[in-house]
Amino acid sequence: MIELEDVTKAYGSGESRTQVLKGISLTMEEHDFVVILGASGSGKSTLLHVMSGLEKPDTGKICYDGKDITKLTDDQCTQFRKENVGFIFQQYYLLPNMTVEKNVKMGADLANNADYEELIEAVGLKDKRHKYPNQLSGGEQQRAAIARALAKKPNVLFLDEPTGALDEETGRSALYFISQLYEKYGFTIVMVTHNQNIAEMAHRVVLMNSGRIAEIRTNKAVKNAYEIGW
Amino acid sequence: MIVGIKDAVKLVSISIICACAVLVCTMFLNYGIDLMTIKELLTTEQERIVWDAQKATARVVCLITGGCLLMTSVVTLFFYMKYYIDAHKKELGILKALGYGNGKIAASFWIFGSSVFIGAAAGYLGAHLLIPELYRLQNKDAFLPEVSVRFHPVLFLWMVVLPTVFFSVLSVFYARLRLKVPALRLLRGEGVQKASEKAQKYRKSGTGQQSTFLHELKRATLWGKKSLLFFIIFSAFCFSAMTQMSFSMKELSSDMMGIMIMGIGLILAVTTLFLAVTTLVRGNAKTIVMMRAFGYSKRECCNALLGVYRPAAYIGFAIGTAYQYGLLRVMVDIVFRDMEGMPDYHFHVPRMLVSLVCFLVLYELMVWGYSEKMRRISIKEIMMESE
Repeated sequence: MIELEDVTKAYGSGESRTQVLKGISLTMEEHDFVVILGASGSGKSTLLHVMSGLEKPDTGKICYDGKDITKLTDDQCTQFRKENVGFIFQQYYLLPNMTVEKNVKMGADLANNADYEELIEAVGLKDKRHKYPNQLSGGEQQRAAIARALAKKPNVLFLDEPTGALDEETGRSALYFISQLYEKYGFTIVMVTHNQNIAEMAHRVVLMNSGRIAEIRTNKAVKNAYEIGW
Repeated sequence: MIVGIKDAVKLVSISIICACAVLVCTMFLNYGIDLMTIKELLTTEQERIVWDAQKATARVVCLITGGCLLMTSVVTLFFYMKYYIDAHKKELGILKALGYGNGKIAASFWIFGSSVFIGAAAGYLGAHLLIPELYRLQNKDAFLPEVSVRFHPVLFLWMVVLPTVFFSVLSVFYARLRLKVPALRLLRGEGVQKASEKAQKYRKSGTGQQSTFLHELKRATLWGKKSLLFFIIFSAFCFSAMTQMSFSMKELSSDMMGIMIMGIGLILAVTTLFLAVTTLVRGNAKTIVMMRAFGYSKRECCNALLGVYRPAAYIGFAIGTAYQYGLLRVMVDIVFRDMEGMPDYHFHVPRMLVSLVCFLVLYELMVWGYSEKMRRISIKEIMMESE
């Protein structure tokens, strides 16, 4: 279970100081699929960063099964991310001088996962495992990033606008792969997006506005990637 | 103007290397020219031997220092320009897409020659401040008639004007060569080398999938940028050769020669090491950030990216040690063979060990400093840069 209690975060100092998160409290259950929805500048990406241990909040608590990660040192936080979280970003961030296979191994080695080839196959890149990122299309790069994130067997998968750089067809395809793997492996998903249609795939939707949670709603019927609008 | 003066100023390492080269070459060329004026005044065999030896020394010093440092400056220039073009692919791609020709864009790269001018001018001025002291020390035992200092304007042309023009022209030609890439590839931020060629190389290299990611990253880092490998080896070489030689020069020549060699060696070693490591860390910022986000420790990132160059540094150190020994042996056994009172020269193990320990401390301090820098690279900044 992930619990956030009165989390705040600001950037800058003096007159240029911007309060990005203004007291966020939120609870997520295991195997939850949560979408954080909001306009640009609403603080959703910052929330994802602090929730995943990439950044420290200024105040508040972030507890994973009762353990407050805001109290961890840098090295402990790295260890926490190693053991618990996976990331998929809008810009993929594949290592350019590594093949698809080696990029996936980046995640797999952290979890001593010898079955990473299964994931490469699952995302449909078996034939392209020796290709470099710049030899792949945007959709293929995102699928490689999905395989890399899941190869480390995360308990929680954080996705920051995973379809932001993709067209509709490849965006749907990427979301389809994610939801298939979510069903198969049973991790928790926290996805940040500004696309309201994607929110229909989640169990719960957190609406952010100006650094605060405006609304939390639960979807009664969850749709798959090919049923949602775009 | 596409390339600004600020970009050229960043080439401080070339300025430093040029300053060192011009300083040494100007001093010894000036001395070599002035030595010719006393040739007619030599009366004894001993004077002729010393005169020949000093003329040979001036020539050897100019050839070795000038040649090595010229080569290093050219490599550094190419390295920096490649880095600059890689970092500005998108802007250059836009210019090409708008219709600017390769020649027109490349022409603005002449400004990189200004860093050579700054360094060469500083070295030239420094040399003229040190020349009287060099003349005094070269003839401190009064083996030769007094050599008076003369000013040779032609040296300004050779040492400052020509290198500046040469490097400016070289910059333009090299930029033109590097810009021979379709605009679309630059806009997409793709490398100049075709990715498919890289992939073929990868498969041919026979790397098994058994090797770990960190092992692969080390391999890719080490062989991905061979110019960095050169700089690390060169840095260790300079440190090793120049520090050990400076100790010996104190006995064989003078304190001033020793200090000068030590100073130049340390400046070159630190500059090239700094340039190499800075470029490495900057070039791998995204890799570092992703590794850290995924949970690789600071130590693992540091070992994979910086630690991998340690063996190269040791090889550079060993080559430097052998080089300085060989050079001094030649100087003592051949060039100054017939000179009276020439001290004997032997390889000095304790000095080598002191030099090695100092180099290790410098290298590890640099690695430690940059590993701290890696820790502070913000994922947010990297993401903002990418968007």
